[in-house]
Amino acid sequence: MTNDTHDALTAFAATAANAVAECAGLAPRARATCLAEAGLIGVLAAESAGGLALGLDHAVPVLHAAGAGLLGYPLLESMLLAAALGGQAEAARIVLGEATATIAWAGRATLAGGRLSGTVGRAPMADSADLILVLTGTGAALVGANAAGVTVRPGDGLDVEAPDCEVVLANATPLALLEADAVDAIEQGAQLLRAAAIGGAVETCLAAAVAYTSTRVQFGKALVSFQALRHAMSRQKLAAEHIGAAIARSLMRPDDRLARAAAFAAATRFGAAAVESALQLHGGMGFTWDIPMHRHLRRIRSWEAQGDAPGLHRRLAAELLTANA
Amino acid sequence: MPTETLPSGDAYRRHVRAWLTVNVPAGLRIDQPGYRTPDLETCRAFEAGLHAGGLAGITWPVEYGGHGLTIREHLIANQEIGRLGLPESINSLGKELAGPIIMAVGTEAQKQRFLRPLLEMKQIWCQGFSEPGAGSDLAGLRTRAVRDGDNWRVSGRKIWTSASPWSDRCLLLARTGALEDRHKGLALFAMRMDAPGVTVQPIRQIDGSAHFAEVILEDVPIDAADALGAPDEGWSAAVRVLAIERATNRMYRAWRFENEVAHLVRACRANPTLNGIIGSGEYHRRLAEILVDIEIIKGYVEPTVERLAEGEAIGDRGSLMKLHWSEAHQRFAVLALELLDQAPPGADPEVAAARERFQHLYLRGRAETIYAGTTEVQLGIIADRMLKLPRER
Ligand SMILES: Cc1cc2nc3c(=O)[nH]c(=O)nc-3n(C[C@H](O)[C@H](O)[C@H](O)COP(=O)(O)OP(=O)(O)OC[C@H]3O[C@@H](n4cnc5c(N)ncnc54)[C@H](O)[C@@H]3O)c2cc1C
Repeated sequence: MTNDTHDALTAFAATAANAVAECAGLAPRARATCLAEAGLIGVLAAESAGGLALGLDHAVPVLHAAGAGLLGYPLLESMLLAAALGGQAEAARIVLGEATATIAWAGRATLAGGRLSGTVGRAPMADSADLILVLTGTGAALVGANAAGVTVRPGDGLDVEAPDCEVVLANATPLALLEADAVDAIEQGAQLLRAAAIGGAVETCLAAAVAYTSTRVQFGKALVSFQALRHAMSRQKLAAEHIGAAIARSLMRPDDRLARAAAFAAATRFGAAAVESALQLHGGMGFTWDIPMHRHLRRIRSWEAQGDAPGLHRRLAAELLTANA
Repeated sequence: MPTETLPSGDAYRRHVRAWLTVNVPAGLRIDQPGYRTPDLETCRAFEAGLHAGGLAGITWPVEYGGHGLTIREHLIANQEIGRLGLPESINSLGKELAGPIIMAVGTEAQKQRFLRPLLEMKQIWCQGFSEPGAGSDLAGLRTRAVRDGDNWRVSGRKIWTSASPWSDRCLLLARTGALEDRHKGLALFAMRMDAPGVTVQPIRQIDGSAHFAEVILEDVPIDAADALGAPDEGWSAAVRVLAIERATNRMYRAWRFENEVAHLVRACRANPTLNGIIGSGEYHRRLAEILVDIEIIKGYVEPTVERLAEGEAIGDRGSLMKLHWSEAHQRFAVLALELLDQAPPGADPEVAAARERFQHLYLRGRAETIYAGTTEVQLGIIADRMLKLPRER
């Protein structure tokens, strides 16, 4: 990595952290403007759509900050979708924050005679979105969230701040269509960016655990001096580093699908456990609504479901068995 | 196993592959039919051949018998060697510990004397650090080195000294100062194992072999020329080297691990009963997690190599990799054992060969969370040095 790139990534991380912090006090619509003004939504998007046309390596620190700061905005979806839409008008609207976009990660809609039907799900924040990408058997279709034949209803995810929604389609008209390779690029990118976001969440929770155990006194001394708890935090650190290592390697090998899958799989497996451990270290306090451990945990579990971590594991194993028949 | 895409035009990798194809007998590849556990002399000859072929001492300067290449080539060679399931080095302590320390703190004469013979497998080294009373708390070691004119005399006991029964030299850590000085006043020596007063008493290990021993030192003379670094600075220099070594030693691990996984899967798939079992959902999940574990090891190794190649510091990252690898490897060994033990009675040579390999791996794997700093010690390093957690309040 050159020093210039390194500096650019550091700057991105700082900008993203500031914007995420600012968003916390804003309504969803205002968050779009805030993120757009910081130049974050268009990181991956084409220049003709007002984007920066940068690589995933620049999106990683942005999503890391989003995960660390519990951003309530479908940023991952907006970034990837804006990039996939190329120079189309919707891309520019997403990049500018004029339209909020999300993706329904689960289920497939049927596209027949130019109309969409079926029920799809795991669309984060579709209830406050303008545009929704739904997957079809062969590619994907973009629909307006308020268009005729499109109904958004609450889903059943754990996350209450960026809730997963279901989308019911009844003869809806697509605004744009994406080919299979564009959808593949979105899914591949999402694996990496979810890993980055989970990594950010783990670091926030670890920092909270360190701060809490450093001040909370029991048995006459700060909890942090008990080795069992120090080692628990070392394991949380290890989880964060595992995720970072898998992401770094995947960025070095953009065409290596196993490395990409591993980044997401590592993040779900080690990330959730690390946050659960950080929660444990807060004792009864960790079980309260006010301490944000549960919010991170809810978010991570939602990302895990959106990315279908169990299905990913099944596919990896199947490939291993086929390759060694 | 999903294969790695090779960077196009990778001449060095092609060279390594070609060399290994021509020069490695199938009998040395543990995942191949016809494999036989190699004896010491076979290992010695094989490793000497690796060096002659340019695949050992890769980053070492040419004037000391090395090949003067970079850590990137070292990584490539290790990837290719790991993939083949070749015998573990019988001189890894020489090549990966003593050698780099000599390079860092040794005199020119010591570099000339020690480095090339070690690569050529004419001198095998062991590491005499641990003692009966000093394991995790290495700074409590009591073996004493006292001046004898310009030379030294050493007395004490070392234990768990791997490869000592067949080593020529020992990288010995001994105390020149007072016990209260802890890390200060510890010196390193290149002790001859055939010196008078050295007694090696092999210790039987859990797999029945005796690869390590207790080494008793009774007034052993050591030449001034065999002291490595100044009496009070050898240790601190060694620690600097060790931090890098922990992150880079046995760099083939992830790729050897892949070879193990592929071997296990092949053996199971060739057996009708096991083929049914390994295809079930429970094993899918566990196999996939192992693949991910291996990718994480690579995720530590490859970016670390890049950082080192760019001249960046890597801090205590070696602890992260060591901790993860050792635990993941143990998880895998348990899985392998469990799967293979479900084979029905009756002769299946592939299952038998795999069982032999993985029973051995299961037993030897128990040491991986103990040596080179136990899991608890690594967790302590992460807490103290990486997280910098406060000690007492
Ligand atoms: C196969 C093998 C090969 C080896 N080869 C060599 C060699 O070539 N040269 C050499 O010098 N040494 C070698 N060793 C020794 C190895 O480095 C030591 O075994 C290791 O450092 C642990 O020391 P110990 O055995 O005295 O265990 P101890 O230090 O007594 O530890 C016992 C247990 O207590 C735990 N423990 C210790 N201190 C703490 C603490 N502060 N907090 C929490 N838990 C703690 C440890 O993690 C361990 O689980 C080898 C060991 C093995 C198993």
